[in-house]
Amino acid sequence: MNKYFKKNLSIIFFILIPIVFLWHPNWLGFLGIQPYWPLFWLLPWSMINGSINGLILGLFLGLILDSVTIDNNFTQIPGLILCGAWFGQIKIHSDILVGHFRYGLICSFGSFLCGSLYFLQILLKNYSDSNPLLFIPSIQNIVAEVFLTGFFAPLICSQLLRIFKPFREKTILFNFAKK
Amino acid sequence: MLDIRRISTSRWWHKKKNWIFFGIFLFLFFVRISKGSLYKDFYYLVSKPFWPGQFQKEIILKSKDQESSIKINLLENDNSRLREILYLQESSNEDNMSAAVISRKTGGWWRQIILNKGIKDGVEVGSAVIGPGGLLGRVKNTSLFTSSAILLTSPESKVGVWVDRIQINGLLVGTGTDTPILKLYSKDADIKVGDFVSSSPASTLLPPNIPIGIVQSVDDSFKARKTAKILLLAKPHVIDWVQILKLER
Repeated sequence: MNKYFKKNLSIIFFILIPIVFLWHPNWLGFLGIQPYWPLFWLLPWSMINGSINGLILGLFLGLILDSVTIDNNFTQIPGLILCGAWFGQIKIHSDILVGHFRYGLICSFGSFLCGSLYFLQILLKNYSDSNPLLFIPSIQNIVAEVFLTGFFAPLICSQLLRIFKPFREKTILFNFAKK
Repeated sequence: MLDIRRISTSRWWHKKKNWIFFGIFLFLFFVRISKGSLYKDFYYLVSKPFWPGQFQKEIILKSKDQESSIKINLLENDNSRLREILYLQESSNEDNMSAAVISRKTGGWWRQIILNKGIKDGVEVGSAVIGPGGLLGRVKNTSLFTSSAILLTSPESKVGVWVDRIQINGLLVGTGTDTPILKLYSKDADIKVGDFVSSSPASTLLPPNIPIGIVQSVDDSFKARKTAKILLLAKPHVIDWVQILKLER
């Protein structure tokens, strides 16, 4: 039972992402913004399983998160697909300390990418009738999200990487690139 | 020796009566100088419970309240009759349902709340969600036990509103910020900072006359219309309990 539980920890964490996303604890936020939770799971998982798996799981994550949010016109899928594919290219660094800070930096870039793509969708939709000054709070959203994601990433990603890594070969259910 | 002592006791300042007389004189002098203000203030305090105006004011306020409540009842009946004729949405307190906020995303891109009442409690898509202060949003989708309401601040939200002072309809559009934008498709609309905005009486989606917010700033840089930032009265980030208004069809 314990072995089975450990083997499927990545799936359990995957299922928990939307729950944390909906939980939205205010005490953890900054300016009412939360860190971009899905990246904390996607980065270690893609680093272990590669770009194609990262891309597909990015798509799955996007689909789930789009369904728990009720915005029909905007989607998180493009950002998460790109991040999944990009994270798969990154190799695990041998130096633990450098690795820690790298996770923060990578997740910050990922969050910036996802936030910018989402903002772009809003901007395109409201382009005809928008005053540029009205979008300053949106930029504030991106900046706060980038900061928080980068701040928490070293702590969470390194732990998840440590948990996922021993079971790399056994994650058959999620390994789409495996021949 | 005895003689000297007798002389000293016979001085005027050695007599208590003289000092009393002097005190009274000083008091009268002060009353004269202050033009009786001390007396007037004392009279004010003593007579306060017996003022006729105070008692009358209470009676007048009470009768005014009664008059207002009778008027409100009459107007509500009248309004409901006219709405029935025009096939517009009804608002009734009997169909309200209390729900707890179990998840809230009030900052960032996603602005929604999830409530602990769903299909099994009779919540329908499109029902208005109100909190202390006024309208929060509308129910966008429902599950068996929960319902998700899109907030007025969400970029997805578009609601017809009414500016009471200038008697004009407008469109309240969320922008993903805390202050949604009111669009008035008339350049001549005399909208001012501080104007009160409520749900439109002509709306077929929302119950009428629910308070929404007040105008925070006005932007008239557009050619064909005016826009204004609206400060919402209901604060979704601090509200734990809301009311779901069932739609009447």
